[in-house]
Amino acid sequence: MISQFLVNGIITGSIYALIGLGFALIYNTTHIFHIAYAGVYVVGSYAYYFFYRVLHLPVFLSLLLGIIFSVIVNLIIEFLIYRPAYKRKSSPMISLISSIGCYICIVNLIALLFGNEVKIIYSGIQPSYNFGSIIVTQIQVIQLVSFIFLLISYLLFMKKTSFGKLIMAFSNNPELLSSVGVNIFNLRIIIFIISGVFAGIASCLVATDIGMDPWGGMSLLLVGMVSLIVGGVGKFNTAALGGFLIGIIQSLVVWKTSAKWQDCITFLILIIFLLFKPEGILGTKRRFEEI
Amino acid sequence: MNYVLHILVMILIYGILTLSLNLLVGYGGLLSLSQAAFYGIGAYASTLLIIKGVNFFPSLIFSIFLTSILSFFIAYPSLRLKGDYFVLATLGFQIIVFSILYNWVSLTKGPYGIPGIPGPKIFNFELSTPFHYFIFSGIFFLIVFLFFKKLYNSPYGRVLKSIREDEIAASSLGKDIPLIKIWAFAISCGVCAISGSLYATYVTYIDPTSFTLDESIFIASIVILGGSGNLKGPLIGVAFMIILPEFLRFLGLPDTIAPNVRQIIYGLLLIILMKYKPSGIIGEYNLQ
Repeated sequence: MISQFLVNGIITGSIYALIGLGFALIYNTTHIFHIAYAGVYVVGSYAYYFFYRVLHLPVFLSLLLGIIFSVIVNLIIEFLIYRPAYKRKSSPMISLISSIGCYICIVNLIALLFGNEVKIIYSGIQPSYNFGSIIVTQIQVIQLVSFIFLLISYLLFMKKTSFGKLIMAFSNNPELLSSVGVNIFNLRIIIFIISGVFAGIASCLVATDIGMDPWGGMSLLLVGMVSLIVGGVGKFNTAALGGFLIGIIQSLVVWKTSAKWQDCITFLILIIFLLFKPEGILGTKRRFEEI
Repeated sequence: MNYVLHILVMILIYGILTLSLNLLVGYGGLLSLSQAAFYGIGAYASTLLIIKGVNFFPSLIFSIFLTSILSFFIAYPSLRLKGDYFVLATLGFQIIVFSILYNWVSLTKGPYGIPGIPGPKIFNFELSTPFHYFIFSGIFFLIVFLFFKKLYNSPYGRVLKSIREDEIAASSLGKDIPLIKIWAFAISCGVCAISGSLYATYVTYIDPTSFTLDESIFIASIVILGGSGNLKGPLIGVAFMIILPEFLRFLGLPDTIAPNVRQIIYGLLLIILMKYKPSGIIGEYNLQ
């Protein structure tokens, strides 16, 4: 019984990890608290829905278009809001509030276009596989496999390529990086593209599994943020660990009590971490003033 | 006429709410996204007593005390966390409170809500018409307004302002910063309970969906929009944000899309304000 819950936890955790990684990439480098990321997430699944169910395009093309739409929206937010704010040297709180405004706009625009109700992509029962006593559905396997593939390629990108190294340097000291002749704005574009891809993929995977509604992004983003805090702020891969941990804890909560206390426990963990271990499990220890 | 009175009552209730948040945002420099949680706790605390037969006023006082004590749960994080981290902690608190209100069915009736809340009784006179409520909440609003006016001109208000500008300088002058902040939260959340209790008895029905994260964001955006740091700004924000949807109704938007259009306007306003006037319409304080 427990192994089934562990597997479920790891699979939902992989989605949290994806969102956490995308959010962390932006937060660690630009220090923007990117709440509109929830909107970016929602755009992906609705674009997928639109191309696949309304225009009847092939499934892979629709998936690709869904991801591309997420990326485009993420870039639009960067160009219209964050970049001007950065040039005006406004405080992080200003970016946060405009990000909230942006989130409200995107989500309500989608609700206007597609309606407030839940949309599903596949109805009916999905095929499932038995591994001993563990049962997993096809889409769960796809979720896990695509997450592992993405995580490995992301880590390789960050460690091996020159772009990855530049992004690491950006998170350490943007001023120094621009003084050695690197164009920070181009780097920011790459950062927003990568995080848009993460949101798009996560969104399409979840939409295939359980469907979508315009407000689904926020709750997922909040759990992604918890994953980031639990894993540790300041590094690029720790959010994955945090995501898995939160996923497993949530599914153990379901096992021991009931599904309704999931949110409560998750955010209790967040507050405990914020108060007693704000650097997270693997994060770098920082001085009090920097937090 | 009842329609106008209804809007005025809502403005007064939200006015109390935003004045309470103004103490934290405009004077403490602390953007809290858990105001709806305290609004909800206040509403539920007094409702649960009122339906047991307790009079409105003892229930109100109980709910004020309860929310003031519970405010410690976000006051304590504010002593240790800054900026984004504090906002995240208040977000977490908001979701925990919503989840408790929603799921503790034996106490709060959860998603079914509590219907039929009786109106406040003053010496056998029960408030029933919108006009009664307008006078009643008007009196409360005036008390809260004068209280904050007095508070902001008191030594306490000035110390709070100095903490907002420079915490280290204030502490070097021997001010007990943790205590001052904890009091700010207790006062702010206690005032929230007043508007929660008024709302519950006015609408006569409450359920957890009135106290969600979106509501917290809405309250915060009223304060940011009107401008924080003085008493006028939040009130202009309230008048604007409550009357705007009514204007949209007169424009003849269908009911199915009106809420979404309204939200989009709020969102756009936030973005535009942050770009051109981060202190709000007539605010004195720029969020740092």
